[in-house]
Amino acid sequence: MKIKQIMKILEAEAIGAQRDNLDIKTGCGSDLMSDVLVFTRPGSMLLTGLTSRQVIYTASTAGVEAICFVRGKKPPEETIKLAEEKKIALMITNLPMFESCGRLYDKGLVGCSELAGASEK
Amino acid sequence: MKRKTWLFGTSGSTGKTKGRTRRPPRIQKTAKTQKTQQLSYELKIKEAMSKKVLTLKPNRTMMDVRKVLKDHRFTGIPIVESGRLVGIVSIEDLINCLTAGSMETMVKDIMTTKVVTLFSDEPLIHAINKFGSHGFGRFPVLDRDSKKLMGIITKQDIIECLLSTLQSLYHARESKKGNRYQVARLFADVPSDWTTLILKYHVKGGDFGKAGEKSDQLKGNLLKLGYADEQIRRLIISALEAEMNLVIFTSGGDMIAQIEPDKMTVKVIDDGPGIPDIELAMQPGYSTAPDFVRELGFGAGMGLPNIKNCTDEMKLESWPGKGTNLEFSVYS
Amino acid sequence: MKLKELVKSLNLKVLVGRDLLDRDVTGGYASDMLSDVLANSDKGYIWVTMQTHPNVPAVASTKDLSGIIIVNGRKPEAQTLRKAEEKKVPILVSQWSTYKVVGKLYELGIR
Repeated sequence: MKIKQIMKILEAEAIGAQRDNLDIKTGCGSDLMSDVLVFTRPGSMLLTGLTSRQVIYTASTAGVEAICFVRGKKPPEETIKLAEEKKIALMITNLPMFESCGRLYDKGLVGCSELAGASEK
Repeated sequence: MKRKTWLFGTSGSTGKTKGRTRRPPRIQKTAKTQKTQQLSYELKIKEAMSKKVLTLKPNRTMMDVRKVLKDHRFTGIPIVESGRLVGIVSIEDLINCLTAGSMETMVKDIMTTKVVTLFSDEPLIHAINKFGSHGFGRFPVLDRDSKKLMGIITKQDIIECLLSTLQSLYHARESKKGNRYQVARLFADVPSDWTTLILKYHVKGGDFGKAGEKSDQLKGNLLKLGYADEQIRRLIISALEAEMNLVIFTSGGDMIAQIEPDKMTVKVIDDGPGIPDIELAMQPGYSTAPDFVRELGFGAGMGLPNIKNCTDEMKLESWPGKGTNLEFSVYS
Repeated sequence: MKLKELVKSLNLKVLVGRDLLDRDVTGGYASDMLSDVLANSDKGYIWVTMQTHPNVPAVASTKDLSGIIIVNGRKPEAQTLRKAEEKKVPILVSQWSTYKVVGKLYELGIR
C-alpha cells in the first residue's frame, strides 16, 4: 500500500523528510521494542506510541521503513533527526492504536506475524 | 503545390508516409543496453527536449524560412501562432519554392498543417520509436493539456539526455561505494592461521538516552566492511537486545565484536548484578525490569529469548553479585 | 457484543475467566503501555496487549475492562494468572499479532 494512501486512511500528517514513493507491505502495532525486533519484516510500517530514539534504532535494525505515531504522540527533534538519517518515514495521527490498525487491516494491509529469527535460520 | 498529409502526431501513430516507412529500431537486450533501455522508458521527453525553439509566424515568407534554415542548419521549422503550433515548414518545401522561384510565398500557404508531434510527458522511448518510423530529424513537443509548443526534440537531444543520466547514476553509485572496504579482501590478502577483526564498544549503564547507539555503530561498521543488510540483521538484532540489557540492568559493560571469515561473534561482558536463574530468564515474557522501563518500551522479557532465536550459537554464564558473560555467533 | 462471541470468532484460548464470558464488550483498546491504558481506556473495553506481567490484570481491574487479549501466543506468568483470577479479569490468548487481532475485532464492528 502506498504511503500516501496510508496517510489518508489514518488522517495522518507527515513529519520530517518525506519518502513519497514508499510502498508498505505489512503493518505492525507495538509499544514493545523486543517484539518489534522479532515480529516486523523489512518493508513494514510500525504503529506505536513510543517516541524515543530507541524506536528508530529498533526500527532501523528490524528493517521497518515507516513509523506512524498514534494517539497524537509527537516525537522530539532528536528522534526526527535520527529517523531522517536512517531514511525512515515518519507520520503522526491522533487516532488511537486500535482505530489505526483496524482501519488499515480493513483496507487490506496485512500484518507481519512470523518470528524473524526462526524463519531466517 | 501538393499538400503532404502526415499522420496526426499523437503517440501510437504508425507513420506510414510513402517512401519513408521504417521499422522502429531494435534494441539488443544485452546487460549493457538494458539500463539504457530502462532509462528510455523512465525519462520523459520534457527532460531531453530543447526548450528554446526557433519558430516563425504564419505570415512570414519563404525568404525568412531560407534565412533561418541556412543560419541554423535546421531541416524544418515549426510555425506558431499565439504559442500554438499551427504547422511546419521543411527544407523540402524551401527547395520546391526556390526551384519554382516563389520565395515571396507566405509560410501559411505552404506549411504542412498536420504535424507529427510528441507530448512532453511521454516517455523517451516514444521519441526513439518515432525517429525510427519517420524519416524526420526533429519533432515538435507539445503540452498535453494546452497543446502549446513546449520545445523540440532531436536524436542528439535523446543521446545527450541518456548519457548525462547514465553519468549521474554512475557517479552516485561510485561515491556510495567509496566508503566500503571489502573485509573479504582483508581475509584473503592477509592470510594466517587465524585472522580476525575485533571491534570493541563500551555501553554505559542507565544511559537510556544513548541506548541503541553502539549496536547501530556496529551495524554501520559492518556495512562499511562490505556485509549486506540481510547478512548482519540477526546479529544486530541480538546486539541491540544485549545492549538494552546492559543499559537496563547493569552499571555498564563491553560489547566485543569478533569478525572472522566464516562467522561473526559478539561477546557481552559486564560486572552487574548477574542472573540468579538463567532458565527463568530465558523464558519468553519473564522480566525483572522495573516498571519505568516498560513504559519506555523495554522489559517485555524477550531480550534473551530473541537472541537465542536469532543466532546460530549462544552461551550464557552468570555469577550473581559478580557479573554476566554472554556470547552469541552468526555464521556468514 | 459479548466476550464469548469474540472468543469464538477469533479462536481465542481462555486462560482465566471461563465463567465471565457473558460480559459486554463496549469497545477496544490496543496498547502495551500501562500509563496509556490507565489514561485512555474505558469501562467494558477489550484490551489487546503483548504484556504479560502481573500489573496488567491490576490495571484492567482498575479500569473495569471487559478482558485482556494477549497476543503472539505469549504465556502470562503464573502470578499474572493468579492476579487475574483474584480480580476477575478474563485472560484470553491469541496466536496472532496485535495488528491482526485488532483488524479482526474491527471487522466485527468493535471500535
